[in-house]
Amino acid sequence: MWDWLDERTGLVSIWRGFADHVVPRGPSLKGVLPAILVYLLVQQMVLGLLLATHYAPSATDAWASTAYIQDRVSAGWFIRGLHHHATSAMILVILAYLGQLAITGAFAKPREFVWISTLGLLLVTMVLGVTGNVLPWDDQGYWAIQVELGIMEQTPGGGMLRTVVQGGNDVGNLTLTRMYAIHALVLPALAIAMVAGIVVLGRRAQRAETSGPRPHPGVAFFPSQMLMDMIGIVLVAVALVGVTVSTNGSELFAPADPTSTFQARPEWYFLPLFQLRMYFEGPLEPIATMLIPGLVGGFIVLAPFLAARGGNLGRFGVLGGLGLVAAGAVALTAISIQKDADNESYVESMDKARKDAERARGFAKEGVVPEGGPAVFYNDPDYKVRKLYEEHCQTCHELDGFGGVEAPTFTNYRDRTWMSELIRNPNEDKFFGKTEIDDMDPYDAEALPDDKLEAVVEYLVQLSGSGEEVDATLAEQGKALFIDELDCNGCHEVEPGVDGGGPNMHGHGSAPWVARVIRDSAQPDLYGSDAKMPKFADKLTDDEISDLARFVVARRGVTADPVPPPVEGEKAKGDEPEADAPEGEEPEADGAEGDAADGDDEGAGDGEDDGKADDVDADADAKAEDPPPPPPPADDEAG
Amino acid sequence: MTAQSDSPSGTAEDPGRRRLLVLGIGGACTAVAGVTLGPAASFLTHPVRVPTTSGSDAFIPAGSLQQLSTDTPTKVDLYADKVDAWNRVEHVKVGSAWVLEREGQLVALSTVCPHLGCAIDYQTEEKRFVCPCHDSFFDLDGKATEGPSPRDMDALEVQVEQDAVAIRYQRFKQGTDAKEPV
Repeated sequence: MWDWLDERTGLVSIWRGFADHVVPRGPSLKGVLPAILVYLLVQQMVLGLLLATHYAPSATDAWASTAYIQDRVSAGWFIRGLHHHATSAMILVILAYLGQLAITGAFAKPREFVWISTLGLLLVTMVLGVTGNVLPWDDQGYWAIQVELGIMEQTPGGGMLRTVVQGGNDVGNLTLTRMYAIHALVLPALAIAMVAGIVVLGRRAQRAETSGPRPHPGVAFFPSQMLMDMIGIVLVAVALVGVTVSTNGSELFAPADPTSTFQARPEWYFLPLFQLRMYFEGPLEPIATMLIPGLVGGFIVLAPFLAARGGNLGRFGVLGGLGLVAAGAVALTAISIQKDADNESYVESMDKARKDAERARGFAKEGVVPEGGPAVFYNDPDYKVRKLYEEHCQTCHELDGFGGVEAPTFTNYRDRTWMSELIRNPNEDKFFGKTEIDDMDPYDAEALPDDKLEAVVEYLVQLSGSGEEVDATLAEQGKALFIDELDCNGCHEVEPGVDGGGPNMHGHGSAPWVARVIRDSAQPDLYGSDAKMPKFADKLTDDEISDLARFVVARRGVTADPVPPPVEGEKAKGDEPEADAPEGEEPEADGAEGDAADGDDEGAGDGEDDGKADDVDADADAKAEDPPPPPPPADDEAG
Repeated sequence: MTAQSDSPSGTAEDPGRRRLLVLGIGGACTAVAGVTLGPAASFLTHPVRVPTTSGSDAFIPAGSLQQLSTDTPTKVDLYADKVDAWNRVEHVKVGSAWVLEREGQLVALSTVCPHLGCAIDYQTEEKRFVCPCHDSFFDLDGKATEGPSPRDMDALEVQVEQDAVAIRYQRFKQGTDAKEPV
């Protein structure tokens, strides 16, 4: 049967030749590194093929499809993680093999080309790493390729080279398709050639040893040495699986965003070059990016030839030189890692990047709109609310410099400054100037000195019951002023629901109160019949209204839902602990990406589970819910 | 190859030991391959277990009753939000239906041919539906009259509220006698 097959294909003879190859000095774990390279290369190709079945190389789809692989497809995170870490493993094994060749002197005649093939494989693998990192089109990939293309541009004629590689004047679709083609088609072919060179040329050299005039004794490759090889391979495989599982695969940052302040770092195997560049500024930069790597690279390539000259002195000189290069690379890597660990801004920025990533990946589970990339944040409930706001409110209520002034501004809505300014002159355009509400007289500094104004405002903050921290003593003074001295409660009642002519101040400015205004601002205990604001009770859903109300009160950093307003000022100190936490959080608005004020943004919650293969879960919440951020305690009594 | 296996140790020649070594190699190969191939199987068959695309299974507005209630079929394109693997696309065409009035009832027939999924067309003169790919013919009730189609045209659920017509768009298994949603 085997003869039959062999006669027609020669396959059996090929196997015989492979299996009966004589390994000098018998089976040994020392000879396993080339086999491990073969294993890693084959595994990488299979994993790459699997990833290619789910990945779309376009600027709009790359991130979304990667997030899909990472968080939705079963075992996707593992396959992607293994593919990522195996590149590192490959580089480590290559370095180990280079070290072995140099230290044992095995790179000398006749193995110079084994040495050179290994170096070639190192280069190819590093470029595979660079091109592969770009493909997810997350912040890491985006910013890293910017730097790498920048370095490329510094070479002579680099401007044109950059345009060709990146496919235009800016990175985009063509960059990705090019990187993908190189990564998936060109480089693997080169890597196969290099690994084949290592194995075939290595065996050739072994044959010379075992069949020369004074042959070394040896044993057949199969099965003894092959078992050794397999032991080495299994050890590497176990380590790889361990690393992949313990790191939850490979990181995936938020989608490429040209406005982000991501601090890109290269993969660890580029850190020596990255750190080296730090020491050369301005016009000297090419010394670090071109000259030194070029000279060192040249020296390493020529090492076996140099070692062959000048006898022992040459050999030890070259070994010393290589040792120096290795030590330098290790030192630079260590410095770089240490510097980042000590660099607070870097650590902080990575923290933020990871949080953004979690949110983005959480939103991605609902599906990414075709705009792709950062448009995943359109799924942010905050972003949806902002859209609602722009559609229904912004025409009249200015916010952060956008919108009309037909009605009170919502920039920093009802924070203490806002309130003070309103009391000083309610008829200003930014408050009620353009409305038909004009019953309240301005209180200038004479009628109400600053310190008293401050007290009144404090009292009003307390009355709003929005959970903000309140200076109780000051509020107490304010209460006295409000009720006795100024008689504000002549119009502005403070008992719930009572109509005094002007808006009742109980709960005024809290989210449920704002929601009532949105529903129908003309109720007697609100603004009465002078209010011309459209009634949104029928136009928007209850959820939309309470989302909008929360959005508006969030302008002053209030994200917690209100505790019931303290009717008795005395004992309600207003120090609700949970209220401070969100307040510390950035109250900043500019939510173009919808990252407004929410300390407790839930998007992160989804990402939390690290994208383990929780398909069912993922699909369930793709549809089901992304409830508006804050867990509402006792909300909507106003509805 | 002239590689003489003159292994001096002779260990590899001991058949029992050799067997053990080969077994070890086989086991190791299987284990290492399994690291990739196990997850690969799960990865590639994911769509069997979890739907990767989904349209809306709600009723989709199709037009006005007045406009659609004629005995000449009108082709109505249905727009809905759709999830396609990693994408969520809003308001895209998900399919279309032939809508006409039969015996006072508004009827919607999917334009997807039950045979192999080509788009069914209407022949005004012959007053019949035809699938132009493999010449299946259907009458105005959607009944298969001629050709390879294994069943009648697939009727879709229709909802009429006042003047507004809505259709629930579904796709059905192709090539089977029975109409089963996919």
